[in-house]
Formats: sequence, structure tokens, C-alpha cells
Amino acid sequence: MSKNLSWVAIALALLAGSSAQAQEAPQTAVSPTAAGSTSVSLDIAFILDVAGAWYSRTPMEVGGHDPAKTGFNFQALEMSVQSNVDPYFRFVGNLALGLDGLEIEEAYGQTLSLPWGLQIRAGQILTRMGRMNTMHPHAWSFVDQSLMIGKFLGEDGSRGLGLELSWLIPLPWYVELVASATDAAGEATARSFLGGGEWNIHGMRDFLYTVGLKQFFPFGREWSLAWGLSGQVGPNATGHRNLTSIYATDLYLRYKPTGSPGRATLSLTVEGMYRVRQVPGDSLRDWGGYASLVWQFLQRWELGGRYEFVSGLAYDPLDPQWTTGRHRGALEASFYPSHFSRLRLQGTCDVPRWQTNPIWGAVLNLELAVGTHGAHVF
Amino acid sequence: MWMQLIKTGNTATRVALAIGFAAGVLASPGPAAGKVRVVATLPTLGSLVREIGGDRVGVEVLAAPGEDPHFVDPRPNLILSLNRADALVINGLELEAGWLPPLLQSARNGGIQVGSPGYLDASSVISRLDVPGGPVDRAQGDIHPGGNPHFLFEPESMSRIATAMAGLLSRVDPSGATIYAARGRELETRLNAAGREAAARVAALPPANRQVVAYHKSLTYLYRWLGLTEVTTIEPRPGIPPDPGHVAKVLSTMKTTGAKVILQEVFYPRSTSETLARLTGARLVVLPSGSEFDKGESVSDHVKEIADLVIRALSE
Repeated sequence: MSKNLSWVAIALALLAGSSAQAQEAPQTAVSPTAAGSTSVSLDIAFILDVAGAWYSRTPMEVGGHDPAKTGFNFQALEMSVQSNVDPYFRFVGNLALGLDGLEIEEAYGQTLSLPWGLQIRAGQILTRMGRMNTMHPHAWSFVDQSLMIGKFLGEDGSRGLGLELSWLIPLPWYVELVASATDAAGEATARSFLGGGEWNIHGMRDFLYTVGLKQFFPFGREWSLAWGLSGQVGPNATGHRNLTSIYATDLYLRYKPTGSPGRATLSLTVEGMYRVRQVPGDSLRDWGGYASLVWQFLQRWELGGRYEFVSGLAYDPLDPQWTTGRHRGALEASFYPSHFSRLRLQGTCDVPRWQTNPIWGAVLNLELAVGTHGAHVF
Repeated sequence: MWMQLIKTGNTATRVALAIGFAAGVLASPGPAAGKVRVVATLPTLGSLVREIGGDRVGVEVLAAPGEDPHFVDPRPNLILSLNRADALVINGLELEAGWLPPLLQSARNGGIQVGSPGYLDASSVISRLDVPGGPVDRAQGDIHPGGNPHFLFEPESMSRIATAMAGLLSRVDPSGATIYAARGRELETRLNAAGREAAARVAALPPANRQVVAYHKSLTYLYRWLGLTEVTTIEPRPGIPPDPGHVAKVLSTMKTTGAKVILQEVFYPRSTSETLARLTGARLVVLPSGSEFDKGESVSDHVKEIADLVIRALSE
């Protein structure tokens, strides 16, 4: 715990230093040409997510930062630190500070200028498995993680220590090929693979491999389509060199009319995964997915709907209760007082078929961002 | 992987791949072969590069026409443009902070990263306004700590940038340095002349006619150029949409001062401005967010367009 407090103290000290630099801004109303900066740029931001929630019965949330109980929920205090290290590397760190301790979501170095369209990330990384897995919780439209991610990848998504190589393929349109090798262990980050517990590396077969093909098609200035194919393979905890494979596809269609006052956008996201696990004497196969539609119709207002389904198995060592399919629907309304704060009201209806009654829920979430936070990817 | 998918995939997989390939080819603009490739973040910067570079340079602009430069969609095809660029021109002063950094980090192009010879931050050569004189706090709204970034409304700023662009192009294409320098000087002269001519037209108007109301705090450089006075803004603080209480104050200020012109850029909501114009008899002028780069508009014509729009409203 004292270690965690030290981290918090360091983070607050860094933020205080950053704030002090801002207060030393030039005092002139009209600056001379090309006024220079007095400090090296270091982007530090904190993003707080807290929520009040009500559920008709004991909720079955699957994400590590989901509002998982009736009452007040501390979802996360995310801290983001980013800066170029030198002309060759960029440092990216994302920490999640919770009431129970510190979690290093990501901490990696990224190359900036490798030739032939190559790029390497090394360190603790979120794997490029699908679309939602690459996004931090504050970038989600909904207040909770999708069932598919929680069940197949883990409550904190798929991430681990490792190395990623990506290649921007020289074609007329955007095509990126990504391959990474990461630790296959982690109860919250690799649950379909080695999961929790101690594991030793004996060879190349003991890593978790992720491969992805990301494509983007701009149809004019207003329509955008991103389509990804990705897959993971690695050892699972049942021994006997048994493997787990997960295949995924994701599609993101966005309409943003240019020249439209109020920044209106309409976004459709569809993502699905198919998992195959070798277990002694059998092969377990299940699947899941979600579709969401989010409409920002005014500068400050957004509405969204999401439907999810994840199948179940009669025998599943990871989720013994999840014996059949589970449906969940959600509606959300967001209000943005400014670009740096958000209020979200989300209603959910969770229908685990192995239970007799659905679980109804309502969540009011508050999100606040301070500091300089790196922009989000598309 | 592609070959394996083609060989082992079923008919549906092959059809999907074929559709993807065809869509990609159709949706993507072709590269400008044999030319110096320059990417500009905003249309006006793109027009400046095109006029100085001429047929030696191929220019791509990241922001769409009419798009709010604070909130450009960071679409991955923009990464492709940045990956292939020899030079990058940005506005700077954090105007692109909400969308450009991840594109630049993913571009895998060391030649256009911050500090490299192919990188130009236009704000580094202009005379800045609205530099905060004290602590910067988000309670003040979306303040830019380095100063107001909307300097592309001012011919003098454009002319300074033109000179810097000639230097940029000379660094990435030394064989054309003489041409770029000459075109830069010529453009600088044209812009300064257009600026002086418009300023003189405004100076001939009575002082009461030179008062304006702006939607966003983005026209400071326009005021410096044309000698205008801003009596208030419709946004209570930069980036914060107006509430009824503030709109009532704006209405009162307009009646007290007699300001009869409301200026706003094309990407801001118009309903409040239209209501205020109706209640006070003021004229609403919707300014373009930048030059019509896609239609080949020159920056001199863009300057003239802005001046004509504003002066016509001030003169009525």
C-alpha cells in the first residue's frame, strides 16, 4: 500500500510541476515573434471516472473498471504521461489508480522513424486485438466494458509485457499489419490463456501471439469505414501443450458531415470474436459480439444504444455458471459541459439465460479530465 | 497472410478481400509522383504552400473544407499522407493538439517529426496575440497557453508564414530554393498590399461601425488587421456554448454599444447568432474556416473574400 501511495505522490508532484510551469507563462499581452518554450514538453493528465449505480439484482459486470455494485462506484483515476524521448522514441504511460492500488495499464516505448513503414512498441502494451481492446475506459461511449472483452480477453482487456511490430503496407489505401508477442499469463489480462498463477517460459510456444490487419476506407470527406481482422493464439492453463485461439473482426462506420455546425457524428461499431480452447479430451468453442450506434447530435449531447450477445457452454472451466447465452442491451445519454467533462446516464437490461430474471440497472457516471491528455486515435 | 487467406479462405472470404481491395483503390487519392510532397494541416496553409511551391510541389491538406480545426477527424488515411510526406506545415499553438499528435506518431516518418528539417510550425514566425498574462486555468474555458492560434485571418501573419514556407521548401528541395524564395517574396508583397487596401477601406468607416460581436474568441488577428473592436463574445468562455443568461448579457451589450455586426466561423452553431441578429437588427457574417483549397482558391482571393464579407456588413 505504501508503494501505491508513493506512486500517487510522484504523480501529484509531477502534475504540480506541470501546473507551475503553466503559471510561468509570459506576462506580455502581445508576445514577440516566436516566443520560445521554457520547458521540455511532457503531457500529463488525470481522468477521473466515478458513478452512482442501481441494479435490480446482484450485477454481473465483467470489466475491471465497471460500476459493479449498487451505490457509489470508484471506476478509475487514470493517469496518462506521454512525451517524445528523443527523435527516435516516444514514451507512453497509462496508469489506473484505484482504491485498492495501482495498475499499470500501459508503459511502452514507441519508435518514431523506422524505415519502410515499420514501427515497434516495447513494454507493457494493450494488444491490437479488435477495436475496443485498444481503447482506455475514458474513451468508451458506454460506462462498462463489453461482455465479449471481459469473458474472452479479461476484465482489464488483453495486454501484457512484450513486443509489437507493425507495418504500414505501401498500398493506395491504409493497410496496417500488426504482430505482437506478449506474456500469456495474467488473470485479468489473459484469462483465456495461462490466466493467473506462476508460469515459466520454456520456449517460443509459451507466449501469446496477436496478429492484426487494420484497414481504412475513406468514402469522401464524410464517410469513414475502418475494418479489422485479428487473431490470438497462445497456451492455456489446462496443460498438455493445449492452445487457445481467438479470431476477431471489427467494423467501425462513421458519418461526420463536414461544415455541420455542432460537430454532429453518427458511429456504428460492430465487433465479434470466436474462441476455440483445447482442453483435455475436448475442444471448447464459443463466440460473442456487440453492435453499438452512437449519435452526437449537438455539440454537448450524445445518445447511444448497444446490444451484446455472448454464448455459453454446458462445461466451461473458466465460467462454470455461464452455461448458455447471455444478452445485454444498453441505452446511454451523455452531456458534455465542456470538452473536458462528461455526464452519462446509462440504463441496462442484462439477460443471462441461466438465470430466471433479467438484471436491470441504471448508472450515472461523471468523468473529469485535467492536464494535457494525448489525443485519441480514430 | 493475404496469400494464405486467398488460398485457404472460402468464397465469402475471397469476395470480402476483393471488395476491400477495390474499395481501397477507389477511395484513395493517387499520389503526386515526382513532386515534393507537402502536407498542411489546414486549407489556408495548403494554399500558401501551393502558391510558393507551384508545380514542383504536391500538396495535401488534412482538414476538410469547413471542418473545425480544433476537432478534425483523425482518420487513418491521414497517417498515409504523413507517412509519404517530405514536409509538414502545422498551424501550431495547440490548435491541432486534439487530433494531430497520434497521426504524427503513427506516421513512421522521421523527416517530419517536431524539430526535423521538414517540419514547420507556422505559429513560430507570427506576432502572437492573447498570450495569457497570468495563470492558465481551464475554468477560463479552452485557453491556448501559447496565445491565440487563429492567426490565419491576418494577411501580415500569412506573409510571414509565406517567407518561412519558402525556407522550408528550400530545405527539402534545395534545387528549387531560388524559385521558392522569389515566389515567397512575391506572395508576401501581394498579401501585404491586399491587407493594407482592406484596412484602409475599414478605416474610412465611422468608429461606431467598427464594433463587432464574435461567436468564439478566434478573430483577434482579424481585428488587428482591420482595426475592429470586439464588444463581447457569444460564447461566455472559449469553447463553452452560450447559456440563456449570457445571451441576455450579449443582447444588452449589443443594444448599449450599438454593435451591428456578428461574426462567426462556418463550423459554429448559428441559432443563437441568428436570434441575436433578429432581436437587434444586426447582420450575421459567417466567415469561411479557411481558403477553398480544393477549388484552387489563392490566398490573395481568400483575403479579399474575408475583407469583402466583413466590410460589406460594416458598411450597411
